Amino acid sequence: MITKGQKRKYSPEEVEATDRSNPIWESQRQFVFSVSLNKYQRGQELPEPSLRRSVLIANTLRQMMVTNSSSALTTCSGEWESMSTDGDFSLSAAISSILTALDSNIEESPQAVQRTPFQSLENLSRSSEDKDKLFGLRGCGVGHPAGDDLPRYLLPISPSASSSQYLSNQNLKCLPSFSSFGPLSSSPASLPTIFSPSSSLFPGQNQGLDLEHLMEILVES
Amino acid sequence: MEEESDSRKINNSFLRDHNYATEADIISTVEFNSSGELLATGDKGGRVVVFQREQESKSQPNRRGEYNVYSTFQSHEPEFDYLKSLEIEEKINKIKWLPQQNAAYFLLSTNDKTVKLWKISERDKRPEGYNLKDEDGRIRDPSTITSLRVPVLQPMDLMVEATARRVFSNAHTYHINSISVNSDLQTFISTDDLRVNLWNLEITDRSFNIVDIKPSNMEELTEVITSAEFHPRQCHTFAYSSSKGSIRLCDMRQAALCDRHCKYFEEPEDPSTRSFFSEIISSISDVKFSHNGRYLMTRDYLTVKVWDLQMENKPLETYQVHDYLRGKLCSLYENDCIFDKFECVWNGSDSVIMTGSYNNFFRMFDRNTKRDVTLEASRENSKPRAILKPRKVCVGGKRRKDEISVDSLDFSKKILHTTWHPHENIIAVAATNNLYIFQDKVN
Repeated sequence: MITKGQKRKYSPEEVEATDRSNPIWESQRQFVFSVSLNKYQRGQELPEPSLRRSVLIANTLRQMMVTNSSSALTTCSGEWESMSTDGDFSLSAAISSILTALDSNIEESPQAVQRTPFQSLENLSRSSEDKDKLFGLRGCGVGHPAGDDLPRYLLPISPSASSSQYLSNQNLKCLPSFSSFGPLSSSPASLPTIFSPSSSLFPGQNQGLDLEHLMEILVES
Repeated sequence: MEEESDSRKINNSFLRDHNYATEADIISTVEFNSSGELLATGDKGGRVVVFQREQESKSQPNRRGEYNVYSTFQSHEPEFDYLKSLEIEEKINKIKWLPQQNAAYFLLSTNDKTVKLWKISERDKRPEGYNLKDEDGRIRDPSTITSLRVPVLQPMDLMVEATARRVFSNAHTYHINSISVNSDLQTFISTDDLRVNLWNLEITDRSFNIVDIKPSNMEELTEVITSAEFHPRQCHTFAYSSSKGSIRLCDMRQAALCDRHCKYFEEPEDPSTRSFFSEIISSISDVKFSHNGRYLMTRDYLTVKVWDLQMENKPLETYQVHDYLRGKLCSLYENDCIFDKFECVWNGSDSVIMTGSYNNFFRMFDRNTKRDVTLEASRENSKPRAILKPRKVCVGGKRRKDEISVDSLDFSKKILHTTWHPHENIIAVAATNNLYIFQDKVN
């Protein structure tokens, strides 16, 4: 809990921007999204997470997803639109898996198995074909603005016929490096916390290498 | 309403006067009984402490009765669910008194999973002169008994006993957030995140599920039940609130399963105040019927609303509890304060409502005069018998001498639980591990 007087370097709430084209609104959205994901993970680590809290956070994440889709539809290309829909599917599936896992922990399973959101996405895959399609946190730099960091990490591969192309190294080459998150790249301190070394989603010091390593594991499985 | 702080008499062996808050001592619920004679508190350690108002002395008519410890007992113990490998907290979530029907007092207390009915009774006499055992309790040799005698009741020091008379368990998969005794005095409901169960006070091995909002596919879950309460006079009516800011009124005569509400209360969202946290702050943390049964009061994160049961589309009255926090929602989300569940209470005549806030502040709203006041439950600022000074939060600009700025508020000091005497202007406020009892100024 934040004690009295603690200041953050970044205070997105001080500017309540309702204009979605406003970069401040975008950065606030990214901040809220990353905080929400962290909360979800930490909540999952608890022996018995609070259902009310989990549902409220999940709904907030869904709302992020909706606003992301609507903003993407207005600003990006058609290819981006289809990928946004896929992003909706991926995030929605992730949230659904978390809730299902929560319920199964409470209702049925004798041993509570704690799964991170990333692992939930793995568990979603039932066939090898599906497995290839679902990549939890991978970027693909096709057709979206460089400054729009967030969706890169949520977009699955499109389930279309061309998805098999992503199995190639082409996809690995598309992963953004740590420095390519412009326009914020010039100030690493202001990068979203999702990429911070302390984030449990990305353990390790070298974010780029960790992302690639994660990719390899998924491809092999 | 002017108030004076009352020096509570506490039995120090039970309520430790420490400066730090022991986790187990954190008060998790407070409740006056229906006459106001007794005040019960439950804490995180699973204990219940009952205070009794002392009889008013004729020699000192101006000194009204103070509350002293009457009984204390361990209501719930920590348990372990071996099937799910989960620990069940002993924290008392709610206490509800049953109306008094004889010399004994009865209350329901609940933790996350189990409801218990406790009988609190006094014993001031004990029988003496048994035939088969002597005064020490040792069995007498029957061959030494030559005559029969009738045991006689002799006075003894007053002893208050608490015994668990019923245990209502194994009916909730999710965490119980509320219990409510029906006006028929035979049934009660217990509510968890997804279900409401109806019990008979005499029957512990079965309960009826009357509301179930669990979807068949948990992926579709977007809403949970946050609180439920029976109507104070209509034994067939109850209301439950949701995390999406709606309240449903149900009639048990309509169907066995009350999934279909008969009234649905929800206020449309104001688009001008929409934010990422709109849904979270609309989540209702408490719902209370007025004593006369005509109104409903709901508490969400920033407001208290009074609803007319005849008008579903918008509340009758809306009171801003701490609107200065609207610009701080991001921080409050980050530090989890946005998930705090504040309670709200009516006074006996339904003319004043009260709820808690941060920095040990609590707020009262007079529905008739539309005046409101912010008071603080703090040992440093309240001397016994002193009148509480109204507090004010400075929202911007120049801060006056007695005002406190929003950034200086202590969010670890929160008043979540309050209760109001059913007939008089006496309130009890729980501030972490301290209980404050305030009453009207004696003129």
